[in-house]
Amino acid sequence: VQDFLELVVSATASGCIYALVALAYLLMTRPTGIINFAVGEWATVGAFAGVVAIGTLEWPYPISFALIMAFMFAVGWATERLTVRPLVERGAPILAPILALLGMLVVFRELISLGFGPDPQPVPGPFGFGRLEFGLLAGSYQSFTIIALTALVFVGTWYFFERTLAGKSFEAVAIDRRAAALMGINLSRVTALAFAAGAMVAGLAGVLIAPNISAHYLMGLPLAVQGFTALVIGGVGRVEGALLGGLILAFCEQLTARYAPIPAGYVQGVPLVLLIVFLLVRPTGLMRAREART
Amino acid sequence: MKSLAAYLVAAIVLSAIAFSLGGYQTDVYRKLLLWITLALSYNFLFGIAGQVAFSHFTFYGIGAYAIVILIVQVGLPLPIAVVAGIAICVALALLVAIPSTRLEGFYLALATLAFAQLFIVVLNEGGDITGGTGGLTNYRLPDIFGWSITGPWYTIVIVVVMLATLAILWRLDHSFFGRACRAIRDNPEAAAAMGVNVTRTKVIAYTLTSALAGVAGMVYAFVDNTVNPPIFGLENVFLLLFMIIVGGSGNHIGAIIGAVLLYLLPFVLSPLIGHHHALVFGVFMVLAVLFQPKGLVGFWDHFATRRRS
Repeated sequence: VQDFLELVVSATASGCIYALVALAYLLMTRPTGIINFAVGEWATVGAFAGVVAIGTLEWPYPISFALIMAFMFAVGWATERLTVRPLVERGAPILAPILALLGMLVVFRELISLGFGPDPQPVPGPFGFGRLEFGLLAGSYQSFTIIALTALVFVGTWYFFERTLAGKSFEAVAIDRRAAALMGINLSRVTALAFAAGAMVAGLAGVLIAPNISAHYLMGLPLAVQGFTALVIGGVGRVEGALLGGLILAFCEQLTARYAPIPAGYVQGVPLVLLIVFLLVRPTGLMRAREART
Repeated sequence: MKSLAAYLVAAIVLSAIAFSLGGYQTDVYRKLLLWITLALSYNFLFGIAGQVAFSHFTFYGIGAYAIVILIVQVGLPLPIAVVAGIAICVALALLVAIPSTRLEGFYLALATLAFAQLFIVVLNEGGDITGGTGGLTNYRLPDIFGWSITGPWYTIVIVVVMLATLAILWRLDHSFFGRACRAIRDNPEAAAAMGVNVTRTKVIAYTLTSALAGVAGMVYAFVDNTVNPPIFGLENVFLLLFMIIVGGSGNHIGAIIGAVLLYLLPFVLSPLIGHHHALVFGVFMVLAVLFQPKGLVGFWDHFATRRRS
């Protein structure tokens, strides 16, 4: 039982990371329809920003986090400005920005490998490497940090979409771009903010996972695939879906790793099989997107 | 007749080049031809049929592994192994295509991406059959009727495969099937309304191009005489996508230009920037999508229309 509860904590923590990446996709794809595969690379950028701010410069944590988030906001905004907006304004097919962002994926990754070299770089966690026990539930400090911050982000996002006017305008753009534009919503500002917010969430996922796996220039693609799997499981339309999908994915992964009688290498195949099955059987995910009320 | 002559001339010229090259150059030349072959079939799948699939390099790998396993492990004679290898590629492509071509746009990309990753997992875990992470080595092309085909003669095999791929795809592109593919790419509903069987056309396009990639893979298996998982990883399918977009998606000449350019570029760039040529590729890709969606052949079109007016 002890063993199982330990697994619950670590699975929840990695599920939270997937959920954050899924949320980053969702924030961008809901209003624009663009699936930005570079979120994994943004997580890498966030992790390396952590290397610089926390590891090298040794700034205090709250300041580092704030600065990293501000930096990620700028990265997302600039990416949208340079590669997405010109295409959207020209009326290019939706595939064009997706391909441009795929190109940016390689650009980001190579810039990081150019700047930091191919070796993994450690990022210390905010509370060091200790264990925390809540009665029966026990896990590393980092696991609990991840869970707490993810919960905060999801509550914040939920509040934003459900309770604020700006959030409603995002949702309106997602449901019907034309109608939203006619109601006076500034489409390009919504798109820019969606990308900036997506970059922030992805960067947060990167900083949070970095103490566990070390920052590495190839860490992005697996995160991008896992985050997307979480998104597909949960459903592309709902914030809660991203969280649910992330947790389901992480539990499936860790339970098969621990209890299923298959070779360790095949465990890497679990998210891939889940992704294929969900894409084929239930492409809308477990939670349906909200549609226009009639 | 005229086009047959053109193919013959191309075959003779490309084969003649093979005889003038040294060992290292031969290796580069063979791989260049294989990249062109792959770019041609990927161009049909992505550029003409409009399917964003990341599984193309996987079928290259399936072809390569299939032929090696069938010859070395199973011990089949070469002609039967080739037929069986193609059959395996077609069967797997159908298995992937029938459910996943129903998926819209980028979802197909992700399903095929997952399939590509799964292939690598299976290769790494395949034990003695796939040789695990080290792959399979220490085999050679069996003799054909007592002839051992090596050196420039094997390069000719690659030339023939490349030209055959080009000929098949060129014919298809200029047939009803090719027009149906383009119609589906641009507007599936309109294509269906015009009486095109959308699902069947998509499945055939995917299966055919994947099988062509598999054939290229079979030829590749005896270029290096080694197959291992990293060769067939995701990096290369991105590179293939970049080749098509930079060269000119939907255009056979563009695919060839893109493949030649991006394959040879690292040789030029490596003295300048070491192993970071992927950065240049990424920048090229972004610039192409932003400023020249027709790729490099677009410049030629632009130039040609300007001169005519």
